[in-house]
Amino acid sequence: MSSSLIIGQYVPGNSIVHRLDPRTKITVIFFFVFIVFFANSVLSYTTLTVFALVTVIITKIPIRFIMKGLTPVWFLIIFTFILHLIVTKEGTVLFDIFGFNIYTGALIQGFAISMRFFLLILVTSLLTLTTTPIEITDAIEEMLHPLKKIKFPVHELALMMSISLRFIPTLLQETEKISRAQASRGVDFKTGPLKERIKAVVPLLVPLFVSAFKRAEELAMAMEARGYQGGEGRTKLRELKIEKIDIAVYILFTLVIAIVLYTRS
Amino acid sequence: MKKTNMQSSKLFKLIVLALMGTISLLLFLLNFPVLPGFGYLKIDFSDIPALIAALIFSPLAGVIVEAIKNVLYLAIGGGEPVGVTSNFLAGVMFIIPVAVLYHKYKSVKSIVLGLVVGTVIMTIGMSILNYLVFLPIYAWFMGMEQMKIESVKWYTVIAGILPFNAIKGIIVGALFVPVFIKMRSWIEQKQVNVL
Repeated sequence: MSSSLIIGQYVPGNSIVHRLDPRTKITVIFFFVFIVFFANSVLSYTTLTVFALVTVIITKIPIRFIMKGLTPVWFLIIFTFILHLIVTKEGTVLFDIFGFNIYTGALIQGFAISMRFFLLILVTSLLTLTTTPIEITDAIEEMLHPLKKIKFPVHELALMMSISLRFIPTLLQETEKISRAQASRGVDFKTGPLKERIKAVVPLLVPLFVSAFKRAEELAMAMEARGYQGGEGRTKLRELKIEKIDIAVYILFTLVIAIVLYTRS
Repeated sequence: MKKTNMQSSKLFKLIVLALMGTISLLLFLLNFPVLPGFGYLKIDFSDIPALIAALIFSPLAGVIVEAIKNVLYLAIGGGEPVGVTSNFLAGVMFIIPVAVLYHKYKSVKSIVLGLVVGTVIMTIGMSILNYLVFLPIYAWFMGMEQMKIESVKWYTVIAGILPFNAIKGIIVGALFVPVFIKMRSWIEQKQVNVL
């Protein structure tokens, strides 16, 4: 569980999508979410679907991983489709089930909306599938950089994010250790009424907070000893850089947006 | 000499908030649904670390812990931005009254009163926000005009959002009071150290 938490949904790989600058990915996905709502014709939907599917193929991520991420939303997609079948009453009657009319318009609209939903979820999940959480927080830091001018503590927030990510496995292990220690003293976490189980969380949380403070003291001292003195002039191990491939992606995606806007009815 | 001391206490504070954010995220992942029929409304104890940070430092520290939890949850691919934003706002509405009242009166009574006020503000605030903002956004995403109908929105708010936030506030509050009583002297001692 601890390793799956630190990398989240990330599936390691070396595809073009994996190697893209995380800022490029975030920007493209942001605009994709918007442009999906502009699609309203067969051609514009096809363009977006082709773009999404080609991206999925390029990532070389096994389909089952992607589907696993989509499991919670399959229900919603199907639910949306059925709801549109029932509620929308446009076009001609296609057939009726037990006196209930299904209209052609309903079928088309239901399909279109479900497709929109599917594309949205698929493309946004590609970000966390191909980007490590640390890359995402680095990208957020870079993208928030302009806010430094209005004294927004961008560096401090980014530092907190990366320390926080780094300590997920450590603190998870600690939690497990404490819960075993308390279970051996007779605390029952798993059974009993809700009230008792809530009570059982208290001896778990108290040592967790105390030890977090101890760790923070040690880490602050270690960072000071190594000369940490805030964000100014600090260099980085992983530098984000916009490469030719990023520019190519921006151009290609602008083209996709243009096609969608041109082909929408 | 004075400057280095200030620097190190600031760095220490940053690291503590980061670790509180981690604990908050871990507790956030251990969530459980409470209302039958509203499986997407889940309760968790992730507000407890934010409350501890808000009591030791300031209400803003609690807000930062909530922010770290929610941004990291997005970064590990845990959820979608709308749900995460609403969780963040609910957390902020819940912890700020507790922190403000505690910093003014510093007693167990003020904590209990703060939890009650926080629960009321969160319940009313989230009902209004869902009615005006979040439900229309979800309706727009799903292309469902019928979710914009007044009666459907009212039903979701009255039967789902409102009782959910009230129950959440009560359960989290019921856990926080014993945690606070156990940790009170420790919290007060840490306040001195940080100053």
